[in-house]
Amino acid sequence: MSLEVVLQSIFSAAFIATVIRVSTPLILAGLGGLLSELGGVLNIALEGVMLAAAFTGVIVSGLAPQWLPGAPAWLYAGLGALAGVSVGMAMGWLIAFCHLELKTDLILTGLAMNILAAGGTVFVLFALTGDKGSTASLASARLPAVQLPFVNHVSFIGTLLNGANGAGYHIMSYMALLLVLAIWLFLYHMPAGAHLRATGEAADAAQSAGIDIRQVRYRALVASSFCAALGGLYLSMGYLSLFQANMTAGRGFIALAVVYLGNRNPAGVLLAALIFGAASALGAQVGTLAIPPQLVEMIPPVVTIAALILYSIRRRARRAAAARGFQEQAAAGWSADAARITDAALDGDPQSTAPGTSPSKSGIVEGTNKIQKGR
Amino acid sequence: MVHIKNHKALIEASRAVLVVMIALVIGFVITALVSKEPVRAYAALLTGPLPKVSFAHGVEITNLNRFGNWLEESTTLILLGLAVSLVFGARQFSLGAEGQLLLGALAAAAVAVKMPAPFPLHLLLALGAAGIVGFLWGLIPGLLKAYLAVDEIVCTLMLNVIALQLFDLVLLNWLRDPGASFLGTASFPASVVPPLLIPGTRVSWMLIVMVAAVLGVWFLMARTPFGYALKMVGANRKFAEYGGINARRVIALSMAVSGILAGLAGAHLSLGLLKRLTVSLAPGLGFEGVVVALLARNDPRGVLVTGLFYGYLRTGAQIMERSSDVTREVVLIIQAVIILLVTAERLFPSFQQWRRTRSDGGAIAIDRGLGG
Repeated sequence: MSLEVVLQSIFSAAFIATVIRVSTPLILAGLGGLLSELGGVLNIALEGVMLAAAFTGVIVSGLAPQWLPGAPAWLYAGLGALAGVSVGMAMGWLIAFCHLELKTDLILTGLAMNILAAGGTVFVLFALTGDKGSTASLASARLPAVQLPFVNHVSFIGTLLNGANGAGYHIMSYMALLLVLAIWLFLYHMPAGAHLRATGEAADAAQSAGIDIRQVRYRALVASSFCAALGGLYLSMGYLSLFQANMTAGRGFIALAVVYLGNRNPAGVLLAALIFGAASALGAQVGTLAIPPQLVEMIPPVVTIAALILYSIRRRARRAAAARGFQEQAAAGWSADAARITDAALDGDPQSTAPGTSPSKSGIVEGTNKIQKGR
Repeated sequence: MVHIKNHKALIEASRAVLVVMIALVIGFVITALVSKEPVRAYAALLTGPLPKVSFAHGVEITNLNRFGNWLEESTTLILLGLAVSLVFGARQFSLGAEGQLLLGALAAAAVAVKMPAPFPLHLLLALGAAGIVGFLWGLIPGLLKAYLAVDEIVCTLMLNVIALQLFDLVLLNWLRDPGASFLGTASFPASVVPPLLIPGTRVSWMLIVMVAAVLGVWFLMARTPFGYALKMVGANRKFAEYGGINARRVIALSMAVSGILAGLAGAHLSLGLLKRLTVSLAPGLGFEGVVVALLARNDPRGVLVTGLFYGYLRTGAQIMERSSDVTREVVLIIQAVIILLVTAERLFPSFQQWRRTRSDGGAIAIDRGLGG
């Protein structure tokens, strides 16, 4: 195999189609992570929610023909998807309940949910099928793919828009794209989205502005789990058509990284998920070259850590800039608030009422720096 | 004073026992839902790891291998529990034990296969390599968190992913035995395998290493300035800093030292139990240390007890799986319930104190949010 062949296969419509297939669960779970992170209640349990939803979807769609014999096949798939989403959202609610009512630690609650899902799925799987590995013995339904009409006649465009086999992308891939748009609209063009972001950024301020932050956080965690559940359903009712023990294989944790690599916004999540997906697809391709696929698979996590570092440095610089701006404002007495603070700071020092010339200005500067650092 | 302290410890211990009892009862209810003979299954879970002593023909001990399984399992879990207790004690949410364990096992295997040496030296070199690699892999997120305020949760999760790929890369390309029918190294030479303590089991000198680690961490936490600083940072970082403690150094080192212990746990898996290294070594094992450390409330002596308990439960579950119609995964459900109950302060108010010491369940996120 030569480099040329690999390059050719990478710059092909089929490769892009593969990337979309691999990235879909990461986009969905990443959006789930985004909603929870912006609400200030990071959902560590994305992995567990995906796993539980993937399992429930397969089991319900596989058993539904026994309960409702003679119904059309799409109904079985629909019931499975509905059950999977419900279980996922119930887990989100449970996390919120434990964290907000019982005051459990959020991270540890999420970890507990992951463990519960990993153990619970295998436990029930064995009880139902007598098999611990997968639901291969169960004929479960798949959710449909959406085939775009007419484009298959044009070879490149056809592959690009309908996948390598021309059957179209899975419905969840379209759902992922739709949710990116919907969540972008929600976050930046709807009051509820602003409330969510406010709750995450400054919970106390949001509360004093009249936002019911408890309710916002409940909804954030349930909505977050909804998205992750869709990602899980895609894995077991699209990407594959069966459930395997631990089939999420860390995608829920990658989704957390996607949130930060994506700079905590929906478009960024889409892009970051595609980067992770591309590396994964590329890893499968370079196996034919002398490049070990593991090296390629390492790129996204390394890039994520680099992004975290850059983010930290930028945040630090921004805080320093904000602090400087604050001091200048205070010194010039531009803003009423700043002036008030300046007055308070200078209280009892009547000689230095003229801002900017005050001998104790350095004291204020130090104080401000301390406040900024203290955060 | 001593009396009051003991009294408090007693209350904490009885609370931990209560939590475990509740979780076991919930586990039994779930078992009863799926099993035809739940009592027999649960009896296997709870008594399986004990050796059977019969007096029919003099004193005869059978099922010693099960007892051995318990001690082997507990050795790994206690090392992991110690690793987690150190970072949790400093109020750092590092989840990197998984990656440190993998790379520790890898380093030990590399020394075992590539650096022949006479017996005790070879073993010591392998253990040393595991510890050093664990230390370095823990130091990375430690330094990033301490000096750049990089969120340790996502950072350690990503380092776990990288460690897993690195593990496969090195194992498959440099350490793999091309003649073997499976993906793994050749069997390790005898010079690097820790000698057995109990014949007929796999309980080896690693048990002594584990006990030494418990004592070492206890000494570190209770009797050294570093341990004091770590506890102060864990209780209140700002207060510690005003008291002249270099909190950044403490945070970075706590994660790195934690890595040594996780690395040793990996060495135990490869040198002591498998005696070779294979792909997919121990998925998810790194997170098992969390429940051990939580139940022990990050006290190293407690970790010894809770690690033995949890190892007992896991061994019992394997025996239950073999002898009944219930899978071992019921233990994971019990584990999840334990974590939820231990951290639910409304249900068990006395854990409030611990909770308050790391009262930033939301604050981690808020802190991040402020920058965004």
